[in-house]
Amino acid sequence: MAQDTVFTPDVRFVRELKKAGGDTLKKCYQCATCSVVCPLSPDDKPFPRKEMLMAQWGLKDELIKSSDIWLCHNCNDCSKYCPRGAKPGDVLAILRKSVIQENAFPRFMGKLVGDPNNIWQALAIPVVLFLVILGATGHLHIPEGEVVFSKFFPVEFIDGVFVPLSGLAVLMFAISISRFWKNMTAGSSMKPKAEFMPSLVETLKEIMTHAKFKKCDENKDRSVAHVLVFYGFIGLAITTGWAVFNLYILQWELPYAVDEHALSIFGGSAAAAWAYKIIFKLFANASALMLLAGGFLVIKNRLKERAVETTTSSFDWLFASIVLLVGVTGFLAQVMRVTGFPAVLAYATYFIHLVLVFYIIIYVPYSKLAHFVYRTAAITWTKMLKRDVEM
Amino acid sequence: MADENKIGVYLCTDCGIGAALNVDQLEAVAKKEFKVPVCKKHPFLCSTEGVQVIKDDLNNGAVNKVVIAACSPRVNTEVFNFDPLKYVTERVNLREQIVWIAPKDEDPKEGIQLMADDYLRMGITRIGKSSVPDPKITEVNRTVLVVGGGVTGLTAAMESSLAGYKVVLVEKEAELGGWAKKMHRVFPTKPPFAEIEKPTIGAKIDAVSKDSNITVHTRTTIASIDGGPGAYTVTINKSGATETFEAGAIVLAAGWRPYNADKLRHLGYGRYRNVVTNLEFEQHVAKENGKVSRPSDGKSVKNVVFLQCAGQRDKDHVPYCSTVCCNVSLKQAKYVRESDPDAGAFIVYKDMRTIGLYENFYKTAQDDEGIFLTKGEIVGIREEPDTTLIIEIDNQLLGRKMKIKADLLVLATGMVSAMVPEEMSVNNLTPEYIGNIVKRETSDGVIEALEPESLMLNLQYRQGPEVPHLKWGFPDSHFICFPYETRRTGIYAAGCVRHPMDAVQATADATGAALKAIQCMELTAQGRGVHPRTWDRTFPEIRFESCTQCRRCTVECPFGAYNEKPDGTPLDFASRCRRCGTCMGACPQRVISFKDYSVDMISAVLKSIEVPEEGTFVVCFVCENDAYPALDMVGLNRIAMKTNFRFIPLRCLGGLNLVWIADALSRGIDGILLLGCKYGDDYQCHYVKGSQMANERLGKVQETLSRLMLESERVEQVQLSINDWDKLPGILEQFSKKIEDIGDNPYKGF
Repeated sequence: MAQDTVFTPDVRFVRELKKAGGDTLKKCYQCATCSVVCPLSPDDKPFPRKEMLMAQWGLKDELIKSSDIWLCHNCNDCSKYCPRGAKPGDVLAILRKSVIQENAFPRFMGKLVGDPNNIWQALAIPVVLFLVILGATGHLHIPEGEVVFSKFFPVEFIDGVFVPLSGLAVLMFAISISRFWKNMTAGSSMKPKAEFMPSLVETLKEIMTHAKFKKCDENKDRSVAHVLVFYGFIGLAITTGWAVFNLYILQWELPYAVDEHALSIFGGSAAAAWAYKIIFKLFANASALMLLAGGFLVIKNRLKERAVETTTSSFDWLFASIVLLVGVTGFLAQVMRVTGFPAVLAYATYFIHLVLVFYIIIYVPYSKLAHFVYRTAAITWTKMLKRDVEM
Repeated sequence: MADENKIGVYLCTDCGIGAALNVDQLEAVAKKEFKVPVCKKHPFLCSTEGVQVIKDDLNNGAVNKVVIAACSPRVNTEVFNFDPLKYVTERVNLREQIVWIAPKDEDPKEGIQLMADDYLRMGITRIGKSSVPDPKITEVNRTVLVVGGGVTGLTAAMESSLAGYKVVLVEKEAELGGWAKKMHRVFPTKPPFAEIEKPTIGAKIDAVSKDSNITVHTRTTIASIDGGPGAYTVTINKSGATETFEAGAIVLAAGWRPYNADKLRHLGYGRYRNVVTNLEFEQHVAKENGKVSRPSDGKSVKNVVFLQCAGQRDKDHVPYCSTVCCNVSLKQAKYVRESDPDAGAFIVYKDMRTIGLYENFYKTAQDDEGIFLTKGEIVGIREEPDTTLIIEIDNQLLGRKMKIKADLLVLATGMVSAMVPEEMSVNNLTPEYIGNIVKRETSDGVIEALEPESLMLNLQYRQGPEVPHLKWGFPDSHFICFPYETRRTGIYAAGCVRHPMDAVQATADATGAALKAIQCMELTAQGRGVHPRTWDRTFPEIRFESCTQCRRCTVECPFGAYNEKPDGTPLDFASRCRRCGTCMGACPQRVISFKDYSVDMISAVLKSIEVPEEGTFVVCFVCENDAYPALDMVGLNRIAMKTNFRFIPLRCLGGLNLVWIADALSRGIDGILLLGCKYGDDYQCHYVKGSQMANERLGKVQETLSRLMLESERVEQVQLSINDWDKLPGILEQFSKKIEDIGDNPYKGF
């Protein structure tokens, strides 16, 4: 493993990490308390001690390829016990952000979303895009009468924007992840001992049950918050798919009036149509509530931890806030619609909601949310290496 | 003063003494056996009334020697303090070492009563042979000679002057300031100890130069020093011209010199132009006023590697840690970073040692993104055609080897005491005195002998021209118990000549040594000993008519107090003496004695003991600095001991005269135990070599024993430190058992 090439430390990288919120990383003096207290660190070559040193020495190339940093679930046991206040938990979080940014395709998107300073530019894209679409189609005004969001922003337009752009995002994400996978597997000194598929299945099972997250001693509440956000997202994803199914397969448009068309779908049974509609709405609302509650808890926990052992980076803060805002605006929009709020407020809230949804869905390969794929990939790889700790 | 003995014995019955012992019997011992003129019992002797009883007897002339049979001599010292120049006081330790160690199951009147009777006999015998001291009061010169003009020397001079003493400062270089003056910046010297500072040595040099109490001689070395504390005759060589003056005490602040890096060729020194020592680097940066460039072509540097412990903590080079290099390299890494914000400073260390609050400085440096720290070592070094270095390091924190392209390699070479001559290896010096082993032709054939070198003080002392070192050329002193003392009374070492230290420590050191020098002059003026027997006004007196010029005393004195006349007769300097009595123990003719301590006195004490006709009976010679208080602690903790022991305190085990062994054994005593301090490299002896000397003498006791047809195991020396007090009962028990197994002394009952 002796490096024949001459080593040059990447001072710029160290500076970037410090600026992004890892300003404590140089405080580490390698006592390895973090690696000892970490419930998720493997016995052999444990993290985060070595990652702290590599970050200090500016070993960017290696850190970008590390799978270990994704085994960390940021429970901050390490930061709590760190005698030097080096906050390894925070440093690893920043490193993960850097990995997302470094593997981003196209690179400028990584920079746009990855750097919280660019938040206004990042939000300006959907705002401008939506305004242009609304303007071009003559919808740039508040519709008369009862608040129906599709009157303001027809569903076809939404789908017209989101479906192709989502497809593009998935493609970009796939390129980014394959890049990450290639770097990670090539950078590993170990050879895989297990197959890909069983490892992936095992990883997914773990994620479903949040088995790793629950191993954290400190901040147990964080796993509850994460479970809520996680299943809220899944529920809303299903809701979206379901809505697409209703619109294009069943040809049943919002707001799902139980009319003749509806009766024809459900074989003339109004009861069945109502039941279908109610189940759908309940599911969607339950998911939204979970997201809302989860988002709220995430923020609350972070505020609580803040002074104690973590100064969460602005990257994380940004995403947590957006998740909460998506939940709040979505829910508010619905409440305003049902309770007959002034239309301007209801439509404005809905507009903001759409912008935030755009941020979450279309920017997925570059935002904090990308971690669900990066982490899955990295844990799968460590399971293939049999490096992962037993659950 | 051949005063007539008017002994008064005062028996205290408090603290359980009266209950445990038959005090009437003790009174009978004093009155009937010794016929003392005064013997009184008191229920509370240390009370004002009790002490008044004694004072009345002293004042009306009935008593001039006071035996207090009560508690340990280590307590109530202020209470039982009678004018030492008029009266002799002796304490008999009935409480701690008899009553409080009394076996619980035994008939209390039996064993401990015998003990008490004996101790009273021993005390009265002892005081009968003591007389009041006749202190040697001489004219004392109160000038402090400071050798060395660096941070330490300047501070010592300033502090002595501030205390009102004249100072002569001798510096061999052309200007004052030493190494400190050559620094570009210094590492932190004041709270919060986090940032580098500008050197302040200039202010100190100014203060000393302007001080009318201080005479400074630069470009000056010492040609010779004769005499002793309070009366040194110093001859200096000032650029060829000699000058002589008097001094009262000496602060040795000769400082340090860097280890010779020519011996570090394996690290590239001398082979590559861009490999420099930390001192060369410092001077280069100072010259360039902060700009860091490389010597080969003057180009500014991008990467600098610092190697800590270069040739240090290495048995082949400097075997110890110089303590400052970690801070120095952190400071110099800052130069690199301040010179160019994109430059990298790599510090490769064995261990990062930034002691105490310097941790803050370490933290500051660590926080710098361009300072890279790792435990590791250099495994390879080569030079590129453009003189850039490719340094391969084993990064032991990352667990891998890596190559660093560096413009400079800075070696943190260590400090060597200025006592060590340039051409000698610090790891291979001759013991005690730095010098050479030479072969000498004598009547006994060719023998190897140590020829000490004159290095800086050029003392006209019989034992050697310099202060002895323990190892590595640092003047020997017990660095915990008496840090600045050397083995030469009146000469106090401070700063880096004593052990490696930084300027902050050296400043404190200098102040301490200056104070010691002042104490020494003042005590000498009163005819008193210096540490540890500062109260002692006695001194060794020699009956020259019986001296055989055997030179034992002049050789064995741990402090080199004796010079010799050409015929070998000892020439004593009372002011150099620490009053340990090692010479007294060494003297085969028993001609050396103190007013209150002599060979004859202890022989008489041994004779005063009533050796029982049956059972094992042991006498212990006990060092009064460690072993004796340890015995008191056994008593304080009320741990029962056997009663077949008698303890005889000595000023130091070094005072043990072999005649006492013969005396004791011929009295029928079955075994003799010597309780003294630890000796060797980590000695604890208050007089450095006393217990070691006792041990060496013991090697010769075989002869005495075989002449008496006795087993050598009957005499044993135990090394004991004060915190081993709890082991004492076990040690005594074991020795007693061993003697019991050997059997009775055949001389018993004669």
